[in-house]
Amino acid sequence: MNIEESKDFLVSTASLKEVRVFSREVFEKLKLEQDLKDELVLAIAEAAQNIVKHGYKDVENTNDRMEIKISLKDGDLEIGFFDKGKPVIPENIQHRKLDDIKPGGLGTFFIKQIMDDAVFKKDQQKWVNHLVLTKKI
Amino acid sequence: MSYKVTEEGNISTVYLNGEIDMDVTEKAKEVILPIVETGKEVHLNLKDVSYMDSSGISVLIESHQKALENNTKVVVKEVSKSVLKVIMMAKLEQILNLE
Repeated sequence: MNIEESKDFLVSTASLKEVRVFSREVFEKLKLEQDLKDELVLAIAEAAQNIVKHGYKDVENTNDRMEIKISLKDGDLEIGFFDKGKPVIPENIQHRKLDDIKPGGLGTFFIKQIMDDAVFKKDQQKWVNHLVLTKKI
Repeated sequence: MSYKVTEEGNISTVYLNGEIDMDVTEKAKEVILPIVETGKEVHLNLKDVSYMDSSGISVLIESHQKALENNTKVVVKEVSKSVLKVIMMAKLEQILNLE
């Protein structure tokens, strides 16, 4: 089954639940195994959280919206994240070492564990950042 | 997220319920950390936590570390399958006191 669905959300921690609901609804249509669905929802939620937490760091309230696009074509799952936050410098993104036990720094690690690839693309005029997560399913 | 706290002797049990993400971590910390700071042993019951992300994992780590500072311990109990999977992905099953 091929599918392409997109939805935009207010950039806010309060939107993270809505992001998960949207993701679960899309993956429900694809009839994926529960474990895989849970992992993909976690990866999407972590990426959305990074936009709120890092892309809009020190921004109290914003009316900006972020867009998430989920598409599956011939077994290639692609999840796009579009935002207008601070420009991301991919080289600066690092998760903490796992043996350095401290709060924080795990979101990016989870994304890398779950997905095959995570790439920031510079192909959008309308947006500042475009993250693309991919996985063969 | 909702919660309930029960006391029995020197053990406080915090029952968390729902989904724990960045939106509710401050609330979770406000419930858990002050109890840990009293030096009581804290049991975190997660049987009704259906989802936890890296923010929730941070709450578990912070609670654990705060307990060590206060010469007590936090025991994580009845972890739901989905949350256990995230704890294991973070390779914390040997660090946190899981029961």
